[in-house]
Amino acid sequence: MPAQRLAKLSLDYLLLAWIALVFVFPVVFMVMSSFKSDLQLLRDSASLRAFLPVGDLSFDNYAKAFQRAPIGLFILNSVFITAVTVCVSLLLASLAAFSFVFLQWVGRSVLMAAVLATFIVPFETIAVPLLLIVNNLPWIGLDGFKTSWLNSYQVQIVPFIADALTIFLFVQYFKDLPKELVEAARIDGATWFQVYRRVVMPLSGPVLATAAILKFLMMYNNQLLWPIMVVQEESYRPVMLGLQYFFQLNTAWGEIMAYLTIITVPVLAFYLVLQKAFIASIASTGIKG
Amino acid sequence: MNAEQLAARRRQNRAGWAMALPACLLIFAFLITPFFMAFGLSLTNQRLISPNPAEFVGLRNFERLLGVGLLTLDPLRDENGEVRLKGGEPEYPRIRSFTRGNPDYPRLNRMREWFRIDLPGDRQLVVLAKDLVFIKALKNTVLFVAVVAPVQSGLALILALLINRPLRGINVFRTIYFAPVVISMVVVAMLWRFIYDGQNGILNSLLGIFSFGAIEPISWLGNTSTALPAIMAMSVWQGVGFHMVIWLSGLQTIPQPLYEVARIEGATGWQTFRYVTWPGLRNTAILVMVIITMQAFTLYPQVQVMTRGGPLDSTQSLVFQAVVRGYEKQDIAGGSAISVLLFLFVLAISLFQRYLTRDRD
Amino acid sequence: MGQVLLKSVRKSFGSAEVIPDLSLAIPDGSFTVLVGPSGCGKSTILRMIAGLEDVSSGTIKINDRDVTYREPSQRGIAMVFQSYALYPHMTVAENIGFGMILAKRPKAEINKRVGEAAAILRLEHLLDRKPKQLSGGQRQRVAIGRAITRDPQVFLFDEPLSNLDASLRGQMRVELAELHSKIGATMIYVTHDQVEAMTMADQIVVLNNGRIEQQGMPMELYIAPKTRFVAGFIGAPSMNFFEGSIASQHDCDALGVRPEHIGLRDDDGDLTGRIRHAEQLGSDTIIYVHHDDYGQITVRAEGNRVLDIGSTVHLTLPAEHLHRFRNGFRIQD
Repeated sequence: MPAQRLAKLSLDYLLLAWIALVFVFPVVFMVMSSFKSDLQLLRDSASLRAFLPVGDLSFDNYAKAFQRAPIGLFILNSVFITAVTVCVSLLLASLAAFSFVFLQWVGRSVLMAAVLATFIVPFETIAVPLLLIVNNLPWIGLDGFKTSWLNSYQVQIVPFIADALTIFLFVQYFKDLPKELVEAARIDGATWFQVYRRVVMPLSGPVLATAAILKFLMMYNNQLLWPIMVVQEESYRPVMLGLQYFFQLNTAWGEIMAYLTIITVPVLAFYLVLQKAFIASIASTGIKG
Repeated sequence: MNAEQLAARRRQNRAGWAMALPACLLIFAFLITPFFMAFGLSLTNQRLISPNPAEFVGLRNFERLLGVGLLTLDPLRDENGEVRLKGGEPEYPRIRSFTRGNPDYPRLNRMREWFRIDLPGDRQLVVLAKDLVFIKALKNTVLFVAVVAPVQSGLALILALLINRPLRGINVFRTIYFAPVVISMVVVAMLWRFIYDGQNGILNSLLGIFSFGAIEPISWLGNTSTALPAIMAMSVWQGVGFHMVIWLSGLQTIPQPLYEVARIEGATGWQTFRYVTWPGLRNTAILVMVIITMQAFTLYPQVQVMTRGGPLDSTQSLVFQAVVRGYEKQDIAGGSAISVLLFLFVLAISLFQRYLTRDRD
Repeated sequence: MGQVLLKSVRKSFGSAEVIPDLSLAIPDGSFTVLVGPSGCGKSTILRMIAGLEDVSSGTIKINDRDVTYREPSQRGIAMVFQSYALYPHMTVAENIGFGMILAKRPKAEINKRVGEAAAILRLEHLLDRKPKQLSGGQRQRVAIGRAITRDPQVFLFDEPLSNLDASLRGQMRVELAELHSKIGATMIYVTHDQVEAMTMADQIVVLNNGRIEQQGMPMELYIAPKTRFVAGFIGAPSMNFFEGSIASQHDCDALGVRPEHIGLRDDDGDLTGRIRHAEQLGSDTIIYVHHDDYGQITVRAEGNRVLDIGSTVHLTLPAEHLHRFRNGFRIQD
């Protein structure tokens, strides 16, 4: 390789690497700090030591964080809320999209247009009236009858199950499936539900992955605005609300870093393993342009 | 139409409705209903818990939110008609004398000063607002959108162009640049609170190290002039990877032969971008701008976690105010009115997108 | 048995009428080919027979049973699609047996019937493969196998060979013809390729703009096309049409002569033109002659003829092979 090209190539990589540093430094700082005592953390932050695993490293922050707040409970809550929402959402959205794309029925196009139009309504604009609704909704659960959904799991799950984006992703995917497959199945004697379950869904792996990832990110990462409004009881809090526990009296930065690491690193690891699917799922939201 | 045909139609209608209904019902109950309720509630004085039934109040909530007034002030003069000076500057009457039950200025009653402009002849124009906090939230949100949308989409495009090259290991960089997107904004905001800290913040340390001590430590989130820009920078950092990926998918729809033709015709790198890449990205560009704008308008977790609107309301945002009023102050009507305004902004933007993409198809 | 009757069938998509009013009888056990240019409505007719498309009005009967509003699976039909429409996530055996799996037939019966179909189509060694691992011709045979196991009264084929390359297409034509004689069920076959129509059909229905131009045996259509459209559509290369003075001489407004019937002479003939181009196909030669009044005339001569481009030739139009048309219709002799 000629020297000039080699020089340009190394410059390219140098630039890319510098940019990469901008994106990783907060995360490296977070993980490293989570193993340091508050004293050392503050001292290290004055130098590049902040990014290095140096000094007295221990799991003390993690241990203390678990003592300070019922972190296990919060994680379970978040995982439960997210998992249930994602699963039910995929089921209902794919069923609706299947019906919109493959079946002919009275009211189909009107309903589909109405559902997809809700895409431009940000959740933030309906949160306040929604609070009024859920405050007055009855619920019969394992612990009996209640007149309000405040402080519950369902208040964090049910309103988020159906959304226009997920339905839209399935509609787009189904439209691109060969229509003949459905027709062949109909000739083979499959009912509509059998066509859905035995022909269309087995072929929907890519869109299921896309929709699941997007919904997962929307749910797990955004559990702040709504829970602040509807969850006061500790037992139903998701992880993002757990942060409040670390600001009592004096701020315990080491413990905060430990907590942030606990709730972030699994997602990052998940992302690193499935990074192709993650990136493809974001890219597919752009295809509708 | 005979019975058999009717039966066939009915079968398909029933199957169609049965499959679509669960999702549609949920969207209707938890999205469409509150959406229309927001409009209705914004015209009332509804509170979350109240002994009195809500009353219709017309557009009063909006008047309160958006009410602004102008006041021109002449400087105070002494007995000789000379401008009275105070510390070398002309002295003006106190705003309170106009806004606290002054019968000559009923419109300005209870308004507060937003900002003032010097006019020729020592006069001053004072802009007053009925709801100063909301007006600041509105201003900050618009400013946030106006800065973040172009900066974030521009940087995202640059990153996409850097990444969209056949270099060995380029996927590693793509993965790293995108990583902040999968981290919750709540976590990011928390982390950056520490980075921005005035005493022990890592940003100050880094700036100190790289400027060899020339840059003095700043309390980034504690200053009215730096708090909002700090939030903007962090938001760009978190979101730029998302839009980089959308740009990338747009770049990959541009047919390769176009680049080959440009090369054969001897186009420079810039010419290739100007005449091949950019025209091919038109729809992507519109999409990116619209997504960023819609996301930016709903600025919330950063404010909630980092500043709670402070210092001195310099980081108030529309959504944060909607939550403060609708939930913390239990003023459902006021919160709804803000939500309606927010939606109108978003609607305007998506109509604008329709307009920009109208000539397709 | 598998007789198919369409009576006054209409079909419109919105305001566009695709099939104005069509009645058609397809005899039991026939191999009927619906042929016509794209957009003529042939696929729509097939899909209406299958029940994949509603009729706007009219009735469809299969084997004397009114099936107009029946579900596709209850009409006694099987269909082979142009794209094969094999379920990508199922093995060949599952693809062939899917209908019986849905109907919850006993495993032994499914295996037996799948085995039979596979034997007919020589697919036994491929039963555990996925469609992706098969060649185009093999996929086509699986699609046919799926149709066979349904044991239908009527087979419907929607351009089944158009995704195959030329040599494979010829082979599959032979196999389909064999299959028809072996099974004996009614087969309705849609194509835009008149060669497929001529070689496989025992009855051809030529369609144009949703109407039947002519229905009959292949040779009938070749020898005595009822309309100018059929005359031009059937036969390759296409029939030459002469208008103007030579047509008037024969008391018609268009005189048709097939390229293979025009004689080529050096000395004298009915028409004189200049050779523009000649395509030597080995078995015969296609010659494009330019005539000052009638434009391009196509001539097909047997054997390998070496001709000088630009030279003058004389053409003869034999009286026994002239087709006379007025207002688009054949004038009976």
